[in-house]
Amino acid sequence: MNVVVLTKWVPEPEGTPTLGDDGLLVREGADGALDPGDEYGLEAALQLVEAAGDGEITLLTMGPEVAHAALQRGLAMGAHKGVRVTDDSLRGADSLVTARVLAAAIGRQEFDLVVGGVESTDGYTGTVSAAIAELLGLPSLTFARKLEAADGSLKIERQTAAGYDVVTSPLPALVTVTAGATEPRYPSLKGVMAAKSKPVETLSVSDLGLSSDEVAATQTVAEVSDAPPKQGGETIEADDTTATRIADLLEEAKVI
Amino acid sequence: MTVVLFVQRVRPRVALVANARPTGRGTPTADRVTRELTHVFLQKKLLQKLVPGLMHVFIFWGFIVLLPTIAEAAVAILDKESSLPILGGASWFAFVSDIFASLVVVGVAMAFFIRKVLKPDRFRGSHMEEADRILLLILAIVVTLLLWNASRIALGIAEVPDWRPVTNLLSGLFGTGGGAEIAERVLVWAHLLVILGFLVILPGSKHLHIATAPANVWLAKDGPTGRLEPNRIDLEAPEEDIRFGVATQKDLSKKQMLDLFSCTECGRCQEACPAWATGKPLSPKLLIMDLRDRVVAEAAGEVELQPLVPNAVVDQVVWDCVTCGACVRECPVDIEHIDTIVDLRRNLVMAESRFPQEAAPMLRGVENQENPWGEPASARLDWAKDLDVRVLQEGDPAPEVLFWVGCAGAFDERAQKTTQSVARLLAAAGIDSAVLGPREKCTGDPARRMGHEYLFQMLAEQNVETLNGAGVTKIVASCAHCFNTLANEYPDYGGTYEVVHHTQLLSELIAAGRLQPRTGDGKITYHDACYLGRHNGEFDAPRDVIGSDIEEMPRNRERSFCCGAGGARMWMEEESPRINDTRFEEAAATGAETVATACPYCLVMLDDVAKGKGSDIRVVDVATLLAEQPRI
Amino acid sequence: MKVWVWADVTPDGPAPSALELLTKARDLGDEVAAIALGPGAKASTVALGEHGAKTVYASDDEVFSKHLAQPTVHALAGLVEEHSPDLILFPASYDARDIAGRLQARTGSTLMANATDVLGPDKARTEILGGTKIVDVELKGPAPKLVLIRPQSFAADPSGGTAEVVEVKADVPDDLKKAERLERHEEEASGPRLEDAKVVVAGGRGLGGTDAFEQLEKLAAAIGNAAVGASRAAVDAGWVPYSFQIGQTGKTVKPEVYICAGISGALQHMVGMKGAKRIVAITKDPDAPILKIADLGVVGDLFKIVPALTEEIEKRRTGS
Repeated sequence: MNVVVLTKWVPEPEGTPTLGDDGLLVREGADGALDPGDEYGLEAALQLVEAAGDGEITLLTMGPEVAHAALQRGLAMGAHKGVRVTDDSLRGADSLVTARVLAAAIGRQEFDLVVGGVESTDGYTGTVSAAIAELLGLPSLTFARKLEAADGSLKIERQTAAGYDVVTSPLPALVTVTAGATEPRYPSLKGVMAAKSKPVETLSVSDLGLSSDEVAATQTVAEVSDAPPKQGGETIEADDTTATRIADLLEEAKVI
Repeated sequence: MTVVLFVQRVRPRVALVANARPTGRGTPTADRVTRELTHVFLQKKLLQKLVPGLMHVFIFWGFIVLLPTIAEAAVAILDKESSLPILGGASWFAFVSDIFASLVVVGVAMAFFIRKVLKPDRFRGSHMEEADRILLLILAIVVTLLLWNASRIALGIAEVPDWRPVTNLLSGLFGTGGGAEIAERVLVWAHLLVILGFLVILPGSKHLHIATAPANVWLAKDGPTGRLEPNRIDLEAPEEDIRFGVATQKDLSKKQMLDLFSCTECGRCQEACPAWATGKPLSPKLLIMDLRDRVVAEAAGEVELQPLVPNAVVDQVVWDCVTCGACVRECPVDIEHIDTIVDLRRNLVMAESRFPQEAAPMLRGVENQENPWGEPASARLDWAKDLDVRVLQEGDPAPEVLFWVGCAGAFDERAQKTTQSVARLLAAAGIDSAVLGPREKCTGDPARRMGHEYLFQMLAEQNVETLNGAGVTKIVASCAHCFNTLANEYPDYGGTYEVVHHTQLLSELIAAGRLQPRTGDGKITYHDACYLGRHNGEFDAPRDVIGSDIEEMPRNRERSFCCGAGGARMWMEEESPRINDTRFEEAAATGAETVATACPYCLVMLDDVAKGKGSDIRVVDVATLLAEQPRI
Repeated sequence: MKVWVWADVTPDGPAPSALELLTKARDLGDEVAAIALGPGAKASTVALGEHGAKTVYASDDEVFSKHLAQPTVHALAGLVEEHSPDLILFPASYDARDIAGRLQARTGSTLMANATDVLGPDKARTEILGGTKIVDVELKGPAPKLVLIRPQSFAADPSGGTAEVVEVKADVPDDLKKAERLERHEEEASGPRLEDAKVVVAGGRGLGGTDAFEQLEKLAAAIGNAAVGASRAAVDAGWVPYSFQIGQTGKTVKPEVYICAGISGALQHMVGMKGAKRIVAITKDPDAPILKIADLGVVGDLFKIVPALTEEIEKRRTGS
């Protein structure tokens, strides 16, 4: 089974990223890593390929030079090769541009499955995978919390608000994987070393046959302002209104 | 013939050791000579247990003294009237050998008493029948010797019979006639044949230690046991040139191989091991025995050459170790269990990525955020919010003492209290100190003990660069693990500093009158941290800082029982019963109201139990006890 | 201006998000329509109309739910082409995210996710960096602009209208029916996985035993899309299995809200949950470290507070 895994390099996955003057996250010079959210999908892909007994995993990413580190991490975990699309015109790319670029890059090779995370840790748009599936004309199985491949099809447990659905599709297809699905492996040092000699291809927008119109962002940040400080850090003694206070907070957080 | 058999049998073992990876530890040092004298000739480590120690002293010294008598017997086979030059007619030697031969009999009797009557648990898993056979052979050697000498007295051919009280007594068993003549011949032959038989059995038995132990003691680590041998990794080198710890026996060092053939299966390590004591599968003794059996079987071609884990020992055994060093300390022949365990871990982690998965966040944290908890570097100074602490910026003049806070001390809420106490005390004593703040990174200890040598190496190099760049000469560390790594392991990476533990500095400051001694009341017990105490020999400084009487736990000082957090076990799950539960119960049984610690790992582990049990016992670092003094 | 709202529907009726979005849509444009596809669509039209939809494009056909997003997007794209809306509002539900993403690929228009407000036909607002920054984004490019809105960004308010119902044809090519929903599981009892839950309710040493965890289960069930977790102390005590453990050596969770009871907040635990967007801590210890990072810390008896909270949430849910 040949799998393309969508990966992203994100700045400061555990810390606080900084915002540049243009309202975009600062990427250059920031400490960053492979998006932890992508590791779940990669782990799922590794397990599917291992179970299938043969096949290749191609990591695909879009981003500047620093994004190479994300590919190296994924290759160290066991992916076979990497593709990085980079182009000055892609700075500030929105979800549609990202989907077009990635779909064009995926379309250059044979594959059975495209695997992505549910959403990125920095942008958390969560729609890029669906757009890619549409651009490639693929069925998509999203929010998988359990995956199982058999006889040229994929069956997943799809996370829902109330529980889960069992959903299936023939391959080729696209799947997005939740954090609950897998426990990503920690790469061995041998894996890290082997990653250095694995092939990584660098592509530009024109290599993908995309026009500059197709990669023009359709969103710009108009204004960034500080949010009113959260009602945080408050400690109260319990009394009759406590339950109301907590329920108010839950409502404010839009979870009830 | 026997010599041929002996050589034939011992040769594969010699070859295994000779062909093993070099240790670079051969050169004579003062430590080596001292160890050879104390551990081998004075039997110091054996005498850590008095009765079994005396048992062994009797047999060991008995045989040393009786070596010439073997020659005597050999010569007597040819000519019964013969005698050895110098020693032969010496009355003092006659007396000494008579007494020591008798003491061997006493020793063997003691050994059987220990094994058959007392039956200590430390022998569980040892080869008991083999030991019995060997003991009986020893007995036979000595009894034939004594009786042979007795028969010679009876025949009147023994020299200085009056100086042989025991054999003289036994000579009454023999007449003076032909019977005695025959007995004398039979006994001398029997004596020599038993010795030759012993030689044949020796190579395949644990009694090979009589040959290997002195060499093993010689090759033991000089300096503190807390230091691990570096396993340098150069990622630019071709992969086949890089060693990732120990996978198969081919990767074992000469010392590690010799360890396997030095083990006497005495089980003192097993008895001291916290993992074994709490029902885990790891026993240092069984680990060594299992490795030995596999190595020998592979060398003999009985089984294929395979990775030692899981073919010789299962994975869990390798992960159960807290690297507390109790086994190494107890071992009479200086086997270094920890080094082998860490080398096995190195292979599992770096080559196989096979380890308890709950420890992965620790490795990720150390790798990405340079601390085991993955906290941001910017939070490293959170503990200092309300304190006036100098943070060493690049280009600043070096302080008199650099205070190495450590990750636990910086991020763990309970350990932060210790850090604050140390900072207050340093200020109160007027010490010119500073911290590195966000520039401090994990020393790499947890990664190293976990087996990720490369991660440790990177951090060591980075920290050494920072420390050297800042011109640091003296460091005080409030974490026993940081202390050990900085003091004993950073010199291997170009970082040589005067490193003291905070309890050492505090006790000095008290002695110098720069800090008021503590005068608290209330019952206190002190828990020795492995990496301060056993691994680095500091037992008094923390006790001095406490000042008042200490309700010592039964296992204290060099025999202290681990809290369960060392060897990166802090970041692994442990099945119940847990090591920290066991230790806390021991502390509680002293009736103390306070358990004083000197390491944040111990503090957290023991405090977790105290909180879990809803105990009123307070677990607190000695620095905090001192800082609480109202006068400061 | 034509403003459309994607309405998630079930045989039980429209999702609350549809009514909230319609209420907002009324303020934004004069031609407000809702799209409801799948079983329950027709039955939802009354409520959708009451909340401001003048037109509801609807179909009860099973194809729209059985085969996931593709048939829906096919139909929706057809409607967009036919009627040229200016703006389509989507809820941030599992299904709607897929639909919006796919629709964007069809229309080539802009899509903004995680919006907290819509300021006009070409401008929407979001919060980033843990809610510390508000960002207003200009939406450019071809219509319709697509905006995915966080739940409960607006309060639903019926205006009392009636919608014209326009039947949507369910002529979906077989090629778009490859993915198939085989089963639905509503896990009232076990809820979502810890890592995936919007709300995590966690218990620690202060719970004192297994029984108290049942209280947390009830609270989680009342909240919905919530999972129960535990600190290492509670797991070590044997009250719940290791799979519940949150922290350094357990699971890492990043829910919208983290409610913990009887947890003091050892570092080992905090590293596993500090990524939560909001933290509510209930503890009897006023010095517990968890209070330092809690958005709302409550010092009191969890055995009283947890049941009272469960009751309060149930009361709000049923609207009584």
